[in-house]
Amino acid sequence: MSIIDFGQLLRLLWPEITIILAALLALSVDLVALRHSRLRLRFLAATSIASIGCLIALDELLHTSTQGALLDKILVSTPLTQLVQIALLVIAILTLFLAVDTDFTEHVGEFVLLILLATTGMMFLVVAQDLLVLFLSLELLSLSAYILAGFDKLRPRSSEAALKYFLFGGMSAAFLLFGFSLLYGLANSTNFVEIACAVQGHPFSSILILAIVTTVIGFGFKLAAAPFHFWAPDVYQAAPIPSAAFIASGSKVASFFIFFQLLVLAFAGAEGVASPVHFQSGWVPVLVAVAVVSMILGNLIAITQTSLRRLLAYSAVAHAGYMLLAYVAHSEQSLAALLYYVVTYALATLGIFGILAVTEKQLGNDRIADLAGLNRRAPFLSACLFVFILSLAGIPPLSGFFAKFFLFVSLLTVDPGSKLLLWLIILAIGMSAVSLYYYLRVLKSAFVAEASAEADPIQSTVLMRLLIGILAGGVIVLGCAPELILNQILKVIQASGL
Amino acid sequence: MNWIVQNLWLIPALPLLAAGIIALTPQKGRARGAALAIGSMGISFLLSVWAFAHVLAQRSNGELTTQVFNFRWFQFGNEWLLLGWVLNPLTAVMLVMVTFVGLLIFIFSVGYMAHDENFTRFFCFLALFAGAMLGVVISNSLLLLFMCWEIVGLTSYLLISFWYHKPSAAAAGKKAFITTRIGDLPFFLGMVWLYSQTGTLLFYNHGAGCMEPTAITHMLSQATPLGVCAATAIALLIFCGAVGKSGQVPLHVWLPDAMEGPTPVSALIHAATMVAAGVFLVARVYPLMSAHHSIDGMLTTSVALQVVTWIGAITAFFAATIAVAQWDIKRILAYSTVSQLGYMMMGLGVGGVAVGIFHLITHAFFKSLLFLGAGSVIHGCSEEQDIRRMGGLAKYMPVTFAAYAVGMLALCGFPLFSGFWSKDEILHAASTWNISHIPYFLGAAGALLTAFYMSRQVIYVFFGTLRVTPAAHQAVHDAGHSSAHADAHHHGSGVPHESPAVMTVPLLLLSIFAGLLGFVGTAAWPWFQSFLEDAPLKLDFGAFTQGGILTVMLTSSVIVLLGLGLGWWFYGRRPIEGAEAPDNLGRLAPPAFNFLGHAAYVDALYGATFIRLNTLVSRVSDWFDRWVWNGAVKTVTQTVFGFAHLDNFIDTHVVNSGFDEGCEGVSSGGKLLALLQAGRIQGYLKIIAGALVVFTILLLWKARI
Repeated sequence: MSIIDFGQLLRLLWPEITIILAALLALSVDLVALRHSRLRLRFLAATSIASIGCLIALDELLHTSTQGALLDKILVSTPLTQLVQIALLVIAILTLFLAVDTDFTEHVGEFVLLILLATTGMMFLVVAQDLLVLFLSLELLSLSAYILAGFDKLRPRSSEAALKYFLFGGMSAAFLLFGFSLLYGLANSTNFVEIACAVQGHPFSSILILAIVTTVIGFGFKLAAAPFHFWAPDVYQAAPIPSAAFIASGSKVASFFIFFQLLVLAFAGAEGVASPVHFQSGWVPVLVAVAVVSMILGNLIAITQTSLRRLLAYSAVAHAGYMLLAYVAHSEQSLAALLYYVVTYALATLGIFGILAVTEKQLGNDRIADLAGLNRRAPFLSACLFVFILSLAGIPPLSGFFAKFFLFVSLLTVDPGSKLLLWLIILAIGMSAVSLYYYLRVLKSAFVAEASAEADPIQSTVLMRLLIGILAGGVIVLGCAPELILNQILKVIQASGL
Repeated sequence: MNWIVQNLWLIPALPLLAAGIIALTPQKGRARGAALAIGSMGISFLLSVWAFAHVLAQRSNGELTTQVFNFRWFQFGNEWLLLGWVLNPLTAVMLVMVTFVGLLIFIFSVGYMAHDENFTRFFCFLALFAGAMLGVVISNSLLLLFMCWEIVGLTSYLLISFWYHKPSAAAAGKKAFITTRIGDLPFFLGMVWLYSQTGTLLFYNHGAGCMEPTAITHMLSQATPLGVCAATAIALLIFCGAVGKSGQVPLHVWLPDAMEGPTPVSALIHAATMVAAGVFLVARVYPLMSAHHSIDGMLTTSVALQVVTWIGAITAFFAATIAVAQWDIKRILAYSTVSQLGYMMMGLGVGGVAVGIFHLITHAFFKSLLFLGAGSVIHGCSEEQDIRRMGGLAKYMPVTFAAYAVGMLALCGFPLFSGFWSKDEILHAASTWNISHIPYFLGAAGALLTAFYMSRQVIYVFFGTLRVTPAAHQAVHDAGHSSAHADAHHHGSGVPHESPAVMTVPLLLLSIFAGLLGFVGTAAWPWFQSFLEDAPLKLDFGAFTQGGILTVMLTSSVIVLLGLGLGWWFYGRRPIEGAEAPDNLGRLAPPAFNFLGHAAYVDALYGATFIRLNTLVSRVSDWFDRWVWNGAVKTVTQTVFGFAHLDNFIDTHVVNSGFDEGCEGVSSGGKLLALLQAGRIQGYLKIIAGALVVFTILLLWKARI
């Protein structure tokens, strides 16, 4: 074992350290100084401190282009990981501000601390190249998320959802750990690269197959892919808005990224072939199955939902299905498309949760039917809702369309003749058409349905409007020059040499 | 290449830009609108002077005075359509004239239109017009010229019908637009033909342009079924456009009606610049116009130029006769303009570019002076335009009178005034024309009439006693002119007053030029002619005595004096008795006077012939449209409707029900699947375990195979 260079460690982990310091500062300021202040002020102070911490970390990431491996390549930082970390920090900041106008808790400092801890977990997750660190950071993220989901202690449903989430998550973590232990047994190492060497040595051993399946299950839970998604609707519906938004956006981005890395780096050589004619065991067939199930299940169940939050949950399952197609292609282009997709998806989801935060406060629930007449009651919000929903549905020229488009194109460029990929794309497009139905139902309710007579305008604070406006602007801007952004991502990926 | 040549486009672009800005900014910004228009015109004027100086410098250096700048516009097929601009003496002279006269008229308009509610819009149109007109002047491509020409036509339409609440103004606008369009159609055909013959619409392109010898020779060699060569036919077609725009017989009818527009418009567009565009066009394509097979030893003129001469001569005389019997101060000037445009055409035909353009330039100055003077008179008399209800204004409006007198003398061709020199050139050239002497006689007769009707007008307006009646005055007001002059009551009831300085200063400036401009082109020192034609220049007083110039000069002087004398004899000897008194000349031959007073019934003639024919044809077309074409269309529609109903039936009962079934399936699938979400965590975990088992078995089983 080489000697640990603590100086380099400190330098490389400076962003994460900054975030933790900010979290502790926010907690202590809240507990010591602002105990008896107004809730909004406490939230503002805590989120400001936390955001400043995140911004410092962001600045750090933007200005150091260090490409380094630490501790025998346990942590590997590349431009690509830095890009993902930047996206995560931006999402974390937006999520924090989403909380400012809510009143679900009095434990402001703790809430902010947990969000930042989860963020730290994600930051580590992204650079991890070792099973142990990966597992640890994933657990840091997950444990924070469990508590966040149940943060609204006064609502039994919130606690119930958190408990389900926890049990479910614990189970899948067990699966994941089991799989990792098998991998360790196989390779006698926890490092991705060394595992890959071992995997190539025993391509079709039953241990490897079991490891693949358990790993997919473990991550399938985080990605909310069917049939590992059952926690999602409950958590989406019952968790406090900022928690749900965080679980639906930031956590997704990190998980999708590291899962891709894990599969491509550690399971290189065990891809397998999914086509029924030349079937070969590996992770691609499993993911094809999961993707197909997710797309069908997510889209179909979403149709019957009456709650916007549950609808979002099922649409998340469907989107996870689309995004898993990028794994099936596992090329540089598909990774770029995946990143573009997951970021635009996260922005749109955050936006919808932001709108929900405003409307729920006044309406008391998230029933789609209660959005009736929103365009009269809150013109700006409904315009933003229009943008987010259409982006999720994949209507050009919004970024959601280009995300889907690039994803499908990247699939086709891998193996143009593959009938399986073609069928997958056809299924995905068909399911997108189905998804249009339930997305448009939301818009129909907001724009076409008449509001009840006593409906008064929906009040929203300037901060919320600004936040939602920024998100809508982001969704539009990302859709303005998609080719440019995608090429940039591709360049970063090539520079990182994945 | 010189900066000014490369950036000549700025000259039209600036007023266009100003027009755009005025159009897009709120109507309330009156001062801004006027300032933008005048400012842009002022800068354009300075640039034009620069361009002019540049050409002068080129000339004195002995360099080529025609400089072009061409650029590619777009590609069709394998060919590029080229556009461009040209700077040569003709362009430079026209630029300076248009911008200078335009600038003065813009300034005059500030005063004249001060009370109009659409003041800003007026300046927008004026600036647009100026831009388009300058575009006509600089363009080096017939196509670009045509485009600007059409914009000019449009602005003319907009400005004539500027007071569109008056039905007569609206009708006049339409008439002008349609009449000039009749001329534009052959022009367009000529342009297309020219393109097909030469493959280019650029005038000058370093030997490859359509006005350069190669192309002209080619066109001369092409015969047409009509017996004339292609060059002549094209030239005549293009000349049709000039006839329409410059109000030549038989398309002159729109120009007098155009006087319904505000007076500055009449001055700028329908006297000084736009109507001169036709003359300018002929001058621009002069190489084509004058192209002919020269027969050895004989000095002949091309057929096209002969046509130009005849049309011009007839117009010059015919319009002058009509002007004698008009009562409206602006209509007199309008017919006089038609007549003078005829002179210009005749000058082009018999004498060449320099002769025609010289008269164009001097005419622009004195005619705009006269129109602005008339505007000042009308303004001072509270919108009165009938000369019978004026009289004695010399003492109320001394400045206007002085300026008007200069303009009138220049127009008549009184010796030493600018019109004298330029008209004299034309008459001299006509007297030596080798085809016929009739144009010369027509021109001379026209000159006599010009002097006569102008003295008649001046005596009616400025001499004698004031014949304006309060009652008539009031009636005029009630007739609806009040919108233009909401504050007319400030003027006092019926007492004329001098116009403000913003109106009189341009008058005075113009009158200086109207008086003196002729000296740049006298026979002794023909600077203007040599400038335009690139000929050497020398001061030679002996030139007056050569080639019969002196004779012509003396003759025309006598004619002018005779005309003025006759005018005085008829109208000045005894003061005019009253507004209702018949015309003194009219007493001699009332039917003839009446005939002329109705503009020789040309409008009625057109109404009885062309318009009736047109109505007939449109009736027939209407009938066909209603019963034949419409019937056919109806049949097709009914068939389509039949198919549509059939389709609808299939769609509803066959396809749609299938789709509905499918949708139902999708929906119930969703409900069924939702049952999975039972809410019990144990069940969820069982499903995970199931997935584990299924995937593992799948992979293991397949791996064994």
